[in-house]
Amino acid sequence: MRDFPQGIAGLGVSMHKNLLRAALLAAMAGGPVLATPPPPLPAEHLTVAKLPPRSPHWAYVLDEAQNNEIDARVLLYDGDTYRRLGQIGAGFMPGDNLSPDGNTTVVAATYFSRGGHGTRTDVVEFNDNETLTKTGEIVILPKHAQSLAMLYDIAYSADGKFVYVPYLQPAASFGVLDPVRKSVLSEIDTAGCVLVVPSGPNRVASICESGRLLTVTLNAQGREASRASSEPFFDPDKDPVFVQGVPTDDGVAYLSFLGQVHEVDLSHAQPAFRPVWSLVGAADKGVWRPGGIQIGAIHKAQGTLFVAMHRGGDGSHKEGGSEIWVFDLKSHQRIARWPVDPRQISGTVVAVQVSQDAAPILFAATDKADLAVLDAKTGRLKHVEKQFGQTPSLVLNP
Amino acid sequence: MPMLDRVFENSARSLARRTSRRSVLASLGRLLTGAALLPLLPIDRTARAQGAPGSGKSAVNDPQSCDYWKYCAIDGFLCACCGGTSNSCPPGTQPSPITWIGTCHNPGDGRDYIVSYNDCCGKVSCGDCFCNRNEREVPMYRLSRNNDVNWCMANSESDYHCSVSVLIGVAEPEKK
Repeated sequence: MRDFPQGIAGLGVSMHKNLLRAALLAAMAGGPVLATPPPPLPAEHLTVAKLPPRSPHWAYVLDEAQNNEIDARVLLYDGDTYRRLGQIGAGFMPGDNLSPDGNTTVVAATYFSRGGHGTRTDVVEFNDNETLTKTGEIVILPKHAQSLAMLYDIAYSADGKFVYVPYLQPAASFGVLDPVRKSVLSEIDTAGCVLVVPSGPNRVASICESGRLLTVTLNAQGREASRASSEPFFDPDKDPVFVQGVPTDDGVAYLSFLGQVHEVDLSHAQPAFRPVWSLVGAADKGVWRPGGIQIGAIHKAQGTLFVAMHRGGDGSHKEGGSEIWVFDLKSHQRIARWPVDPRQISGTVVAVQVSQDAAPILFAATDKADLAVLDAKTGRLKHVEKQFGQTPSLVLNP
Repeated sequence: MPMLDRVFENSARSLARRTSRRSVLASLGRLLTGAALLPLLPIDRTARAQGAPGSGKSAVNDPQSCDYWKYCAIDGFLCACCGGTSNSCPPGTQPSPITWIGTCHNPGDGRDYIVSYNDCCGKVSCGDCFCNRNEREVPMYRLSRNNDVNWCMANSESDYHCSVSVLIGVAEPEKK
């Protein structure tokens, strides 16, 4: 055992003397004299922060948390103040969406009873967008379609009375849920057609390997009343379309690997296919291609389409955009081309979303987990959020 | 679910063992025959074709490299980096009996091979050696050619851990 001849008290006296000596020397040398310390800070109260009023410039960003996939989450971000506002849990390989009134974030997720293993429970969870608290859930069949994050992996009917959730195991079907009574109403076989694109109060379109759309019409009880299959509108052998459609003001637009745009009007009993047009001119066809995860977004009032584009070839359809191209939906003309500046933004753009207000901003998430905020009218880069989650993949707007 | 497992077990993984090369093609029909006839894809991977540091292997022959030739349409964590190999699941995980199928070109012998990409299931994601290649990959409306979905979906333990690439047979056009 070591001896401490001065002991603790002796050490203190010695230090006190040394401090006095130092202060005296400082005063003699014209140095600063120790001032009276400020009063202590008041005690704080622990509170829970409240969200400010909802803004069209908010983004609900689904982070798949790829390296620990049982822990996906939706990150709420303010594109004006550049602050993260909160988080919603999203389990394993979820789909998420917003209710038509914007008040609810609905998440279809899987949970395992022992974290990474154990009994699988699939559940549709409802989260209040004012408090970010979970307000209810519906346990569904344990076969929610677990895939890359994409739109239409869960959806509301236009009037908010039904929620549609796609199943895959690997037979394809979808469930019809009552979000008010929190109950399952039916399961509808889709004969291999996938995802749920809602239209009106009671129609659901799913996309099929044959290049057709299957449309199922529901009765008031949420059961199948009728179904119809469209004519093929694309050829999956020659030029497949991305399954993740882009919402339009009356339906959905499917972009093809080679940049063809298939706009589908879903406002009537049968889908109507508008004339196909192309994102690329003849010289760029097969060279410049759309790609990524959330490939495109549309500002509905302004009629502009934003697409993540890259130089690629066959098999490059999941590569993110090195540029964002902007198109006028009426003239089908490209009106802007915004290169992604690698000095400011890391990675390529895998997800784009545009706010729907009159002064829109564009969100662009990259494969390096940057979240960029751009002026959607000029393309001016306003802000880059570095390392926004782990793998931000799908951006929703209120 | 057990019935589904058996069906797919019999139709996919055991295909090569039970059938001749020629009947593999016949069974898989237009889907795979068409894919096998596609030309090599014009994607320049030379920038990444360096192999793992210190591995002494070229990337196209390194199962821990995303450029390994068998991984031409894989999407996920490479099991070879997670305690398994390019065709074996890591200890304690379970192979998915259902799968997606690709056709990859082996530069070593000049042949195209039919490849079954299976997921290994029952543990949280491995988190190492993420690799996403999509040669001839098609969105999920053509499920057998899609790598976006969790192929552990029908396992009793359906958490996704990593992915392997298993040779099924040679994909050569039938001689007339």
